[in-house]
Amino acid sequence: MNSKALIRAAAVTIALIAVATIGSELSSGFRQLLSTIGGHHWIGKSVLSVVFFALLYLSFSKLSDDRFAFRDTGLLIATVIISGLAILGFYVMHA
Amino acid sequence: MINPLIFIHAICAELGLFAFLWVLVEILNPTDRRIARAQAAALFGLAFLFFAWLVGGFYYVEVYGLHIKPIIKASDASWVHSIVMEVKEHVFLFLPILAALVTALLYKHEEELNTNRDARLSIVLLSGLIFLLGFAIAGMGALVSSGYRFALLAGMA
Repeated sequence: MNSKALIRAAAVTIALIAVATIGSELSSGFRQLLSTIGGHHWIGKSVLSVVFFALLYLSFSKLSDDRFAFRDTGLLIATVIISGLAILGFYVMHA
Repeated sequence: MINPLIFIHAICAELGLFAFLWVLVEILNPTDRRIARAQAAALFGLAFLFFAWLVGGFYYVEVYGLHIKPIIKASDASWVHSIVMEVKEHVFLFLPILAALVTALLYKHEEELNTNRDARLSIVLLSGLIFLLGFAIAGMGALVSSGYRFALLAGMA
């Protein structure tokens, strides 16, 4: 198991959830595309989050994992905060 | 009457969140026994968060969207859906990913958590983040319930 790949896959997946959330509100075509995955756009985002996490882990797993770096965790935490605030800010502005 | 799925969703999610608070406490000063307990707590928490995801998702799509959302959106408290529920349902998706990550890190670094400060600190901070984010989401759930009650009462007045 590659820790660096796991952390980076989690960070990119969380950022993609935020992008998909905002994108599906701005584009009815994209929202419809997500709905085709599971019958509802939220199910589409849920399924895609798991699929992207797995695929991103596989693509990052070639990275060297010699030494665990806290820097990667810091980037993940920052991604969670920024993505959460982006989703909150978007819905506050568009309510 | 409160739909039992909401109760199951909330209880499972809260058990999952407290499991990650347990992980945080065990890893603050790890020993072999504490690491083993933290691994068990993380597996327990991950399973409960995934179950909460499935139950909450089913309720959201099959019950909330069809019966609750239209009542809230037609009331003066429509912001409860437009802001609070929208943020809740999407930020929730972060939790299973973070929980799976913490569980994997606990197994990957079990032999070196006593000596590897970066790995230990990462698990502590990520577990704390899961707990805080999760309870912020639980608070949003309480707000949605209050918004629905408000909408029902306003509709009767």
